[in-house]
Parts: sequence; structure tokens; C-alpha cells
Amino acid sequence: MAHIFRELSRNLSRNPGTALGSLLSLTLLFMLFELYWVTAITSARFYSHLLSDLTMEVFLTEETADSTLTSLQTTIASMDGVKSVDYISKQQARAELSRLVGVDLLIGYDSLNPLPRSFILTFSPEYLTATIMADIEGEIERMPVVSHVSYSKHWLEKTESARALILKIGMVLGAVILLAAWMSLVNSIRLMTRARAVGFSQMRLLGAGKLFLALPFLVEGFLIGGLSAGVGWLLIFYGKQRIAFTQFEIVVPTLQEISIFCGAAALLGIISGYLGIRRLLR
Amino acid sequence: MAEKVVAELNNVYLESDRGAQVLQDLNFKLHAGHSAVITGPAGSGKTTLVELLVGLRFAQSGSVELFGEYLKTGSARSIRYVRRRIGGVGGIFALIPSISVAENIMMPLVLAGERRKVRQERLLKMLSEFSLLKCAGEYPSSLTRVEITLVQFARASIAHQPLMIIDEPLAGLDRETYQRITDYLVTVSLSGRSMIILSSEILSQQLPNMDYYQLMNGALS
Repeated sequence: MAHIFRELSRNLSRNPGTALGSLLSLTLLFMLFELYWVTAITSARFYSHLLSDLTMEVFLTEETADSTLTSLQTTIASMDGVKSVDYISKQQARAELSRLVGVDLLIGYDSLNPLPRSFILTFSPEYLTATIMADIEGEIERMPVVSHVSYSKHWLEKTESARALILKIGMVLGAVILLAAWMSLVNSIRLMTRARAVGFSQMRLLGAGKLFLALPFLVEGFLIGGLSAGVGWLLIFYGKQRIAFTQFEIVVPTLQEISIFCGAAALLGIISGYLGIRRLLR
Repeated sequence: MAEKVVAELNNVYLESDRGAQVLQDLNFKLHAGHSAVITGPAGSGKTTLVELLVGLRFAQSGSVELFGEYLKTGSARSIRYVRRRIGGVGGIFALIPSISVAENIMMPLVLAGERRKVRQERLLKMLSEFSLLKCAGEYPSSLTRVEITLVQFARASIAHQPLMIIDEPLAGLDRETYQRITDYLVTVSLSGRSMIILSSEILSQQLPNMDYYQLMNGALS
């Protein structure tokens, strides 16, 4: 163990430029991914907040008898995903219109209120997708007493496609960063091993096993990978403390998620370390 | 009771990468406590023989057995086991350039997993035995030819390796070191360790339990 750590410190002290270079470049790469991660979960939180306000309004025909309203409300409420159904009478619609416009536009039309009666529906969060909402809309529109259904259909579709695009970008970015981090670490470890190739063959001649030779480089990969990811997060947390938005709150992953990420980065470091040294172990 | 066999080569045949025959029908047997001096001109295959003995090359036919382990392609564990029981000097057994003299000497003990205290004690013994105390912290690149040979001897002896392979041990040594090394070889021989000495010239001093061979046309006689 002492030999391994001595070798590790020797690797780092003899090639400080290579080690520091790969640490910095990996920190930047991981930080880019971490920034993307923070942006993605912050926008996801913002999006779900907006989505929770999404309602569907079901307008009824003038001919609908008041006696059928309760059974209709029950039918709609029993549909999958419907969380609540609130009845809006003509008077309530008029009051709402007055509230929105700031003046009662229907003065003198007390007996001829043209505003339709309606139900306002809210949904469970998992049902708030463009496809499910369209299905519910179609099912409700087929009911004979329903004149039409209204909700922010286009907004929902556009937001969903934007989210899908962000996810795709994230996957591509993740893959590019993974590849860049892997190549950077493999190359820096390869550079360090190349300088010590003669020592390697001599150690093998003395009976050193592959693990004995590889371990300092694997530990180095582990440390550089894990540290780079950790330093990236520290910089992001520092930035978060300094920057505050009034419209929304910056959301960061949980400590467990960050630990898993740093662990994965360290694992990537180990794999890169192995790939960097593999040729010399043959 | 039959003597323990340290190394046994039977009908070994080996060609170079370019197809030239290097060793043919080579037979060799070394018992524990015995030593062998193999002489032969440059290019006769002495270094190739060393490479066969440490598992760097493999016979195309015939068998190479050391300490009861057959050395063949893919037998990594056996090769490791054999290499840890061999102390090498000269030729392919260069020092590790990236570590100090003391670390070079201690390496066989590190690989054997010896405790730190044992390592330090034996290191001190070797450094004083070979007069290397003053250069213990230096790196091989700053050593003289004689010092390098002494460090290799110290490394080959520190773990009491049962077999020492010495490739051209006396080449380029001054008179004093030459005498010192031959005296040391006598001590090693008397201690019961086996030696295979490969040399282009015949040793001036007779060693106990020593057999002489000549490597000619790829075979030992």
C-alpha cells in the first residue's frame, strides 16, 4: 500500500503539468455537465410549477338541463386523471368576467346572460401531457351536452417539444463530455506511463503482477476523476450563493445524487487509468 | 533422497523472429545448491537462454521448467512465481530508472509483501555489504557502471532468491571489484543458492559445485 501511494505521489510530482492539466480540463468538462444538470432540473421544477396551474374548461350547451349537471359532473370526475371538477354557473361566469375586465359588461342583460355554463377540471400531475390531455379532450367532446372544450393545448405541446429537445441536447452533451473526459484522462495517464515504460518491464521481470503496476495509475484516475467532479460542484455552489433570481429558485441535485455523480466520475477515472496503462500490461 | 531440481530444459528449440535457428535440442538441468557457468561467443544465444529462463520468450518445442513450474505462453502466474525466485544481474536485468537505489534493492521484498521492518533491516545489510550506503538515495542514472553492478547484486540477494542468473558479471569491472564479485560468487555458492552465470569468457576462479557448459550452435555441451 505504501508503495502504491509512493508511486502515485511520484507520478503526480514528476508530471505535475500533466496531472494539473487533466484535473483542470476535467473540472471544466464536468462543470459544463453539472451546469446543464442544474439548468435542466431548475427548468423542470419551473415547468411543473406552471403545469400545475393547467386547467381544462368544459363548456355546456344552452339546452343542457340543470337536472343532468350532477350526473355529468360525476361522470367527468370519474375519468382517469381528473383530480377535481368545479361547476361554474352563468352567474359565476359573469362575476369572473367582471373580475377580469374590471367592469360588468352584462348590466341590463340579467335574464339574457349569454355566458355558457361550464366545468373547470384539474388533473393529477402525471396526466398533464399533450397526448393524455388530447385523449381526455376527445372523450369529453363526444358527450352530447358539451359544446366545446378549452385548455392551453398549443402551449402544452410546445413546452413538451422544448423539454424533449433539452433532453436530447443533454444526452448528446453527456456523451460528448464523457468521451472528452475519458480521452483526456486516458491520454494524460498514457503520457505518464510512457515515461516509465522501462521501469515497468523491469518490475515485471522482478515478478510484479499487473495489479501491482496498474494500481497507482488506477488510484490516480480515481482521484483526478472524483476531484474534478467535486471541484466542479463546489464552484457551482459558490456561484449559486452569489446569484439569486427573483422569478425562480435555482435547484441543485441532492447530496446523494452529487455523491453518485462524483463516484461515477471517479469510476470513469479508474476505467481511463486502466485504458491508459493497458498496453504496457500486455 | 533425490536432489531438488531448480531448472530443467528439455529438447528446447527456438527460432528468432526472422526464422533463424537460435537454440536447438538444448538440454540443461540444474540442481539446488549447484551452479552452472555457460560460456559462448557473442550471438551464441546466451541472452536468449536467459529470456527463456525468466519467461520473456517461449520455446517453440521442448519444455522449460523452473522450480517445478512449466514456463509457457499464458502461464502468467507461473512466470510471476518463477521471476520472484530469481535474482538477476547484468544483461536484461537493468535497474528501474524512476526509483532510488534503495528502492531498487528493496523491490523484491516489496513484491514479496515483506514487512517494512524486515525490508529496512535487509536493505541496510545489503547497502553495507556492497558499500552502497553513500548512494542509497541516488537514482540509477547518476551511478557508475560498477555501482550499477553492485546494486544489481544487492537486489538479487536481498530476498534470498534461490536462483541467481548473472549475465556477463565481470565485463567492464576494475580489478578490485572483479575480485570482490568473484569472492561474493563463492560466498553465494557456499550458501546453497544456485547460480547460472553466462559469460563470454571463462571465470578465473573456480566456484564450488560448479559445472561448466559451452553454448555452441544453439546447444549446450
